[in-house]
Amino acid sequence: MSEKQMLYQKRLERYMTAMDCGKPDMVPVAFGVGEWIAKYTGTTLQEIYYDLDKSNSIVSEMLPGLDFDIFKGGPSLWWPPMFDAMGSKLYKFPGIGVEENSTFQFNEQEYMKPEDYDEFIASPTEWLVNHYLPNISTELENPGSYRSTVALIKGAAAFAMQGGIMAQAYGKWTMDHGIVGQGTGFTKAPFDTLGDALRGMKGVLLDLRRRPEKVLAACEAITPHNVNCGLAGAGADTRFPCFAPLHRGAYPFLNPNQWNNFYWPSLKATIEGLWARGKRMLFYAEGDWTPYLEKIAELPDKSIIFQIDTTDPKKAKAILGGRFCLQGGVPTTLLTYGTPAKVKEHIKRTIDELACDGGFILDAGGVVMGDAKQENVIAMIEAAREYGAY
Amino acid sequence: MADKDKLLNPDPGVCVPWEVKLEEIGEFPGNEAIVKKEWEKLDDFAYNFIWFWAQR
Repeated sequence: MSEKQMLYQKRLERYMTAMDCGKPDMVPVAFGVGEWIAKYTGTTLQEIYYDLDKSNSIVSEMLPGLDFDIFKGGPSLWWPPMFDAMGSKLYKFPGIGVEENSTFQFNEQEYMKPEDYDEFIASPTEWLVNHYLPNISTELENPGSYRSTVALIKGAAAFAMQGGIMAQAYGKWTMDHGIVGQGTGFTKAPFDTLGDALRGMKGVLLDLRRRPEKVLAACEAITPHNVNCGLAGAGADTRFPCFAPLHRGAYPFLNPNQWNNFYWPSLKATIEGLWARGKRMLFYAEGDWTPYLEKIAELPDKSIIFQIDTTDPKKAKAILGGRFCLQGGVPTTLLTYGTPAKVKEHIKRTIDELACDGGFILDAGGVVMGDAKQENVIAMIEAAREYGAY
Repeated sequence: MADKDKLLNPDPGVCVPWEVKLEEIGEFPGNEAIVKKEWEKLDDFAYNFIWFWAQR
């Protein structure tokens, strides 16, 4: 076994032990290269988003100097050429729609209309193909036309190309640097699937008043699909969690009654469905979820990794600790507005409070934004190693 | 309504069920399992592509 393979095994063991609420040799550290890297490399965000080779080479250059365990990914969340091929209305990307160094913007609309509920509920996948894709894609406005057919060919080809390029990059990073990828599979809370891209925030909030039974039926129809999306295929690796960014469930988007009745049941069913197949969810609780911790504690033991963003960390530890692995604990604002000294001080306190008896992965609380300072991000990793030995 | 326009309501991970395709093929002189396995792999890929756009 090579040195890097041994390093991989050590980091994997550290990660697996923490996920199962155990105490590894040291606190595992998760790390992702965010958009903040652009200003340190003389590249524009547009180049980073469009040129996957360039984006991946930036990651390859960074990795040798960094000692962390779990890799969360490179600086671009999406590959815009695929969206361009489809004429997607969903995003404005750097250099096309917004300035070349601006982050992407989600263009939220009611891509699904209130009158579409019944057809969507009857057969979600067919409705997405027949109505949603043409609604969100200018190239698909005339289904069956030359432009539409070519766009679908290009879009699917881009989907496969991106998957292949990223799989190759992860393979190389694993072999060359012994890093462990955080997860496989991507899913969401069914209410977020409905409320983010289909109905939009305004649409889904109006629906809670005007057609609540449709919202519930749609969430129920989405649930088995979200279990499938999280599994990432029948032969998926169930050692690693699926990533689930959670949006409208953060306090106070919904009132507690709405959360209990509309948000939680289908998310809980999704998590239970995944767990029944051995798949854990990285419950990426963006924002504050403190009021809901007791409900989240109803989940099967170890079925999630709970991400602490602005949720009260002490309460999360008290209510979820020991039964679920916790991840996060470092405010993204600290990485932007703090100093290396303040970051180190915070890491020491966080490890003392959250990692004492295991079941904890140190990480930034949420997505590290483009204005974060590299010295603070590096200080986070270094401090984790300095204070993280058990 | 033409046969190919019928509502299929496919399961998660499926766009066009193999059973539907098999019925259209009719007589099957070769090894069905080989064809079915590859059909379902590509079908799953298409399914993930479709749902990718809804999971944003």
